[in-house]
Amino acid sequence: MREDDDPALVRRCRDGERSAFEQLVVRYQKPVYNAALRMLHDPQDAMDVAQTTFLKAFEHLADYDPSFKFYSWIYRIAVNESLNALGARKSLEAINGEEPDEAPGPDTQVEGEQTGRAIEDALMRITPELRSVVVLRHLMQLSYRDMSDILGLPEKTVKSRLHSARMALRQDLLRC
Amino acid sequence: MLNRPMTDTEYLELVHAEIDGELDGGQRSELARRVLADPAVRAVREDLRRLCAKLDAIEDVEAPAQLRTNILQALPVSATPRTRFHWPAPRWRYAALIAGVLGATALVYETVDGPGPGSAEVAGTIAARGAPRTLDTVALGAGPVAGRVSLYRDGGGLGVAFELAASAPVDVLIANDGHTIRVNGLGRTGAAKQRTTVALPGSGTDGSGVVELTLLMSGREVGRATLTVPAEH
Repeated sequence: MREDDDPALVRRCRDGERSAFEQLVVRYQKPVYNAALRMLHDPQDAMDVAQTTFLKAFEHLADYDPSFKFYSWIYRIAVNESLNALGARKSLEAINGEEPDEAPGPDTQVEGEQTGRAIEDALMRITPELRSVVVLRHLMQLSYRDMSDILGLPEKTVKSRLHSARMALRQDLLRC
Repeated sequence: MLNRPMTDTEYLELVHAEIDGELDGGQRSELARRVLADPAVRAVREDLRRLCAKLDAIEDVEAPAQLRTNILQALPVSATPRTRFHWPAPRWRYAALIAGVLGATALVYETVDGPGPGSAEVAGTIAARGAPRTLDTVALGAGPVAGRVSLYRDGGGLGVAFELAASAPVDVLIANDGHTIRVNGLGRTGAAKQRTTVALPGSGTDGSGVVELTLLMSGREVGRATLTVPAEH
């Protein structure tokens, strides 16, 4: 059976077919969850953000412009929700007097299979704005064009931000 | 091609472009020459290539099994994105007719034996007013939202009265008679229990059945309640 493409699913959903939205959820729950997970580094927070992302998408589906790719639109919601969650987390830490854990853990200095963990930890030590471009480019394998649509930034700015992010990660890992 | 020597920054951009697969032949040769001649550029290039390869190799994890269920359960029960805020035209005409007949005379009335609308926001149809009668009440207190919700009937049909307090604004989905409407921002932080009434669309005086309420905070479901219209009504 041929799967409907995204615009067809969105049309069906707008016409009241709830199963069409369910198909969109099935199709995009994994990338949306993973984007949130890499941004937040917390499975429960990532799940909350993924859920909010889809609910907002459903709520605002009438506002969605079909001339844009659906995945760009929903990833944009996911990135913004992740940034909001990080902002809320920062406020909570400030209220509770907690310092974010920026020191590398012992396992980040171990080679081999721990390297991936070290990189994920390093990701959490760069700014959320830099992290978002790394997540979109390297973990979600998106083009600069798609990233530009998602972030609402010119491609040149996206590219420059990604270069800065890579250099920041390199510096961070060199320090470890 | 540049007529002047490239700066370190420009070489660095070539390294990034190489990683992104965006170098043309001339740029590739230029970078190769510099990498051979400059150990510092060579080191940065190797570091970045390794880093990006490892970032690309981070594997996706499966979304939690309950995510899909949670999303679908939290969707408005009978609404669709297109129709959620748009009731069928005949109902609008009916509501407009009632509003026209009543004019501005029925916005506030005395509570007789149950909760009636206060001065807070009214959503839903513009309902005709009569003596309100409480049909069902549910107390909330086990979750993050406290207070009570009551179903009442007045001359215009069914309505729901909310008196809620919560640590964050509460949105409520109200499903009844094939419609779902949404009321945002109830029980705001720091406020005492606020009374807000909502006249239900399409519920004439003979209406019966159940009213399903879904309480949301930050888009997440935090509670459900069911109000029932007694059979004798």
